[in-house]
Amino acid sequence: MKYYFLALGTVVVVCVGCAMDGQQITQKGEYHAPPASMMQRPGPMVDGPGPGVMPMLAPQAPRPFVASTTQVRFIGPDGMHVGWQIPGGYAENQIVAPGRYNFLQGNTYRLKLTNVPGREALSLYPSLQVYPAHPNTDAYLSHNSVPVQLTAEDLDQFESNNFVTKVIYLPDAKFQELAIANVETLVSTRLDPGVDPVQEADKRGTIMAVIRMGNMDFEMPGPRPGVGPTTMMGGSGVEQTAYSVDGLEGQHMPPLPIGPAGPGAGGIPGAMMMAGPGTPPGPPISGMNGMPVWGQPITGTPIGLAGPANLPYGGPAGLKSHTVRNRTRQDIPEPVDHMLIDVIHEPGISLPKPVKYMEYKETHPVYQPGELSYPAWAAPQGGGQ
Amino acid sequence: MSSRFAAGMFVWLMGVTLCSRGFAQQYPSVDGRQNPLSQMSPVGMAAEWSRGLGIDRPPYFQPVQLSLPEGCQLAVYHGPRRAPIELSNPGQAGLLVGQTYRYLVTGLVDFPGVEFYPSVELIDRLHPPAGQADQFPVTLELTAEEFELAAKGRLITKVVYLEQPDRVPTATLESTTRMTDLPPSENAIAHADVLGRPIAIVRLGGRTPDPHRPDPQFFGMGAPVRLGPTPRAE
Repeated sequence: MKYYFLALGTVVVVCVGCAMDGQQITQKGEYHAPPASMMQRPGPMVDGPGPGVMPMLAPQAPRPFVASTTQVRFIGPDGMHVGWQIPGGYAENQIVAPGRYNFLQGNTYRLKLTNVPGREALSLYPSLQVYPAHPNTDAYLSHNSVPVQLTAEDLDQFESNNFVTKVIYLPDAKFQELAIANVETLVSTRLDPGVDPVQEADKRGTIMAVIRMGNMDFEMPGPRPGVGPTTMMGGSGVEQTAYSVDGLEGQHMPPLPIGPAGPGAGGIPGAMMMAGPGTPPGPPISGMNGMPVWGQPITGTPIGLAGPANLPYGGPAGLKSHTVRNRTRQDIPEPVDHMLIDVIHEPGISLPKPVKYMEYKETHPVYQPGELSYPAWAAPQGGGQ
Repeated sequence: MSSRFAAGMFVWLMGVTLCSRGFAQQYPSVDGRQNPLSQMSPVGMAAEWSRGLGIDRPPYFQPVQLSLPEGCQLAVYHGPRRAPIELSNPGQAGLLVGQTYRYLVTGLVDFPGVEFYPSVELIDRLHPPAGQADQFPVTLELTAEEFELAAKGRLITKVVYLEQPDRVPTATLESTTRMTDLPPSENAIAHADVLGRPIAIVRLGGRTPDPHRPDPQFFGMGAPVRLGPTPRAE
């Protein structure tokens, strides 16, 4: 009897083993491709050895239709005039809502909104961050504009001295609430207190633009952030006379980027030797580029007090010892010496095994002697066989 | 092969966007397969991959016919200068396989004075009988409803594919082009790939070129267009 089960088991193992290659056990019959960024740049040993090893063998061919600009469409309110900051001032009335303009991606701009219906005396100076295109937003941005609208509720918020942040993003599929989806806008005033609309939008999709609005007047006389008079010799010099650019008179001028925008903006700077805040990169030289002169009595101490001069003026050195004891209780953890980050893609990347065997078989008709086969169009009497 | 059959060969899959972060992973697999391309892949990516597969060799001008609502004017941009060529409605022109073209549509009754700029990404070709290429073009169609959606700021993506013979529902074969609507969460290219061979991707949105800041890339990569009959040698 046991020989019977042994033989039966052998047959099962042989048959199942021939039909399975092992992947059926660990997989559910689905394969999952890597994410978009990995698909575009496969990585080392595929499209090049990677950065830091040697230059790429060939530059990556630019893809067509990947717009370097984002078209922002100012929907309303109707009749609102949109201007923006330019070198030396503001270009007024460049667009009348509803209108649109192509902004270079990856930059922050200062807008000037005037002639708001019902609030003609109001001038707003929102900042507009135009995010760089993401593989998820390329198709949308090359065919659609990003809508920006100022609602009556927003205007009420400004007049109440509130700060409003609007984030326009392309939602992920799982956050689509309608059958026919569209871009969505997150407004800070509609979120719970403490919720960052940028972070919230980043969770739900891909950010395309962020507009921040308050009631600060950026054209007040005197020192102003962003646009200040051109000064010489420490601020008591010449003030540049701002020239006027008015779109209503047919004058147009592109906006001046006032900063970067998007992921990576304000991120970790590249490796460089820094000699102190505000100092250009390079080796620190005493007395140069803002470095203190050697010997100047500004020696720092661990508790922030200035130390004594380390070079006496005109006399022999008398100070032989200088001790500052920090008696502060400290409970500071040790710095991390080895960092470990686990990255998990869900679902994991799974690809089928590559093909290593093919069988190509052709079956041809066989005719006996005397039999002829004609295609229909070549048959002698119009009747093929 | 009749023209009626040829017209019925194409089935549209329309995905009214949108996308997902890491689009390659968030679309559910179709027929147990995960397609790395989707309707929200960057424009030109599928064509670039088809060039990598050698589908564009030898270079072939695939006749493409674009049908619009009555009264519309049609033009296609071509060449290094991205100059528009006016076409009739429906307009037929030979487009290079593996390239992406931008069209100009004007004259819609519901949107007087409004311009639309759909794009056509040609990722594969047909193999009609010799000398009859112009009789069997890739037929594309944009409806008035789709232009209305585009004017509202939505992106309409259509994947046109050639049906696999054993999956053709012959009982419902008609001269009109069948169209299947898919929700934004589905991968239209993957569905088309299961049912047949994807030929073209048509995208329609509401973006227009800005006269204050011209962007040549908006009009494509300047691929040539062939007008007139296709030579019999092809």
